[in-house]
Amino acid sequence: MTEHEQSDRERGVPRREFLRQGSIAPLAAFMGAIAIPLEPRRAGRPTHGRALGEEKVGCGVIGYGEWGREIAAALGRIENAELTAIADNFPTMLERARRATPAAATHDDYRRLLEDDAIRAVFVATPTHRHREIVEAALQAGKHVYCEAPLAHTIADARAIADAAKAASSLVFQAGLPYRTEPQHRGVFQFMRSGAIGRASGARAQWHRKTSWRRASATPAREKELNWRLDEAVSPGLVGEIGIHQLDAAAWIFTGLPVAVSGQGQVLQWRDGRKVADTVQAIFEYADGIRLTYHATLANSFDGEYSLYYGSDGTVMMRDAKGWLFKEVDAPLLGWEVYARKDRFYREEGVALVADATKLAAQGIDPTKDDPNVESPLFYALEEFVDNVLNGPFPPAAGYKQGYDATVLALKGNEAVAGNKRVELDPSLFAAVS
Amino acid sequence: MATRFELVLAGAPELRLRAAGEQAVAVIQRLEARLSFYRATSEVGRINAAAAERPVRVDGEVFALLVRARELWQRTGGAFDITVGPLLSCWGLAGGSGRIPAAAELERARAGVGMHLLELDPQHCTVRFARPGVSVDLGGIGKGYALEQAAHVLREAGVTSALLHGGTSSVQAIGCAPSGRGWPVAIAYPDALADDAGVARGGDPPPVAVVELRDRALGVSAGHGKRFRAGDAWYGHVLDPRLGRPTDAALLAAAVCDSGTDADALATALLVLGPEGTEVLPDIASLVLARGAGPERYRVFARGIETRPHPDTVNE
Repeated sequence: MTEHEQSDRERGVPRREFLRQGSIAPLAAFMGAIAIPLEPRRAGRPTHGRALGEEKVGCGVIGYGEWGREIAAALGRIENAELTAIADNFPTMLERARRATPAAATHDDYRRLLEDDAIRAVFVATPTHRHREIVEAALQAGKHVYCEAPLAHTIADARAIADAAKAASSLVFQAGLPYRTEPQHRGVFQFMRSGAIGRASGARAQWHRKTSWRRASATPAREKELNWRLDEAVSPGLVGEIGIHQLDAAAWIFTGLPVAVSGQGQVLQWRDGRKVADTVQAIFEYADGIRLTYHATLANSFDGEYSLYYGSDGTVMMRDAKGWLFKEVDAPLLGWEVYARKDRFYREEGVALVADATKLAAQGIDPTKDDPNVESPLFYALEEFVDNVLNGPFPPAAGYKQGYDATVLALKGNEAVAGNKRVELDPSLFAAVS
Repeated sequence: MATRFELVLAGAPELRLRAAGEQAVAVIQRLEARLSFYRATSEVGRINAAAAERPVRVDGEVFALLVRARELWQRTGGAFDITVGPLLSCWGLAGGSGRIPAAAELERARAGVGMHLLELDPQHCTVRFARPGVSVDLGGIGKGYALEQAAHVLREAGVTSALLHGGTSSVQAIGCAPSGRGWPVAIAYPDALADDAGVARGGDPPPVAVVELRDRALGVSAGHGKRFRAGDAWYGHVLDPRLGRPTDAALLAAAVCDSGTDADALATALLVLGPEGTEVLPDIASLVLARGAGPERYRVFARGIETRPHPDTVNE
């Protein structure tokens, strides 16, 4: 073993993993930072610079609800993915699957899908409280797993999933946290880490949509199963199911986890007997005094979903996977602003942040216009997962650790909201999975 | 291009209907985002940006819709054509008020129009344009298709009586109205029923027909009698893809079909085909309102739809 390899091992970092991740990653990892590749993805292009050839990954989607259908549709557009089978325990969903993808096999029992050797990767998009059993069975069956977030409805189940994923080291496990692989988020967060907004002073995130969150079915028994989001026994609530993505993004940019969360929740609009709050407020406390305030409601749609990160030199807004910088008047000039489009938000002027604007300009693509090559966050997440299955395994940006931590945040947030209380987040909670 | 969609769901309990309606609206919004001609990141936007250079992979649903568009093109003898965009542009009809194109410009546009220029590969689920200058726009069937998918979702959710519409020109009925009869939908005379100077008449014209829809879809296409004058001639705003120029054959057309997608496309085709359209498409219920000849102002042609007399029309 050379001296170089020896020091890698001392750091606990397998050398081979570095070499797979391209040039930026090893340097960043040595410095203790988090690697964020900046190469913008183009539809159909491999992410790690190597041709993927004609090899296809047989894919199985388990759970054909709304999100399962989104995953299936996105897989249909990923070069090296082949949607081989769909499993759902409800006949109507299977009929829908047959209409949408006649070529894919359909199963009313996910275990039959796991028996198919042609399927190398499964996508778990069932109700949250059903994830654990399926993920464990899938890993046991030797399948790579993409599991929707939150990983589970209890921390114990989330931990079991994380432990199973960790143990199956030859298999890829990716958590459904698409912002982690989304190029604009990566680019903007790298930009923020370089100090662009100065000293952080807080964050605020909201998700507003006027909708009942209730689902309907022709069969009453099915309707109860379908409305797991409104069942306080299993539902992670708005903070857990919806907020997890914004909470995780904040944890990612702050490179630290909150130490406590306080919450409140009310049923204001949908007074149909539900106990799961339709309007929630949560405050996440970080060790250095920073607060992330989160507001979500099903009662009102104003301004939809966005996150704001406040700093002494400026504020960054992330919405619809786009970013804007609102500079403080006394902030230093950045120089690259010549490439930027500016958008007016009433009295505030936001500089549009486009990842790799200079590269786009060099390719003759106007960085101030909507880029037709931009895909949905889900697409990039699935593309990276499929690439990992073919060329990996290497640690995903949203692996079992990120999935577990985000799930803990989400579930503890929900606990605070449901109990109208403050909940401390002991570091040992997060250290339970490493 | 904002379209207002409205869903009327009849029955009980209200909670369940609301939930079903939300699911249906979500389906419509999702399709709008994926099929919109005006969004660079929609499937259509992506196809138009790159299909001239290389095959563009699309998902199964969009591919199936393109195949369906091709079938409808064949069925209507080319009167319905999703590639007609370049011609609309060169005649100034894409949001403009119309103009005569220069001969070379027209030639170029014509060369880029035609479904034969669309290469669909079912094995790889890809779309390719045979040459540059081609574009596709699914606006002519998008609303009908979205309503069709929304209706699936509503039926699956247990809804047995509903009326949906998009922009009042695409309508889909589920079951009957609470009255027990089909949902009554009035097809109005076009707003700008006008004389040659383009002046709209005042007052409330009666409907051309009231269609009672039961599990069927209605598509209505109207040129609104808009015209532009160039030299001594008047030109309509409806473009005939087969001839590459505007036509004034009809003021309004409607089609009733099982499928919302078909209803939209065939109504558009009928507007191009004019009065003879009801003969070209004998297997659907249809209606065409044309300008009259001589002393009669309007003529109504209908097959399978009962029309109501209007003082200024001649029913045929």
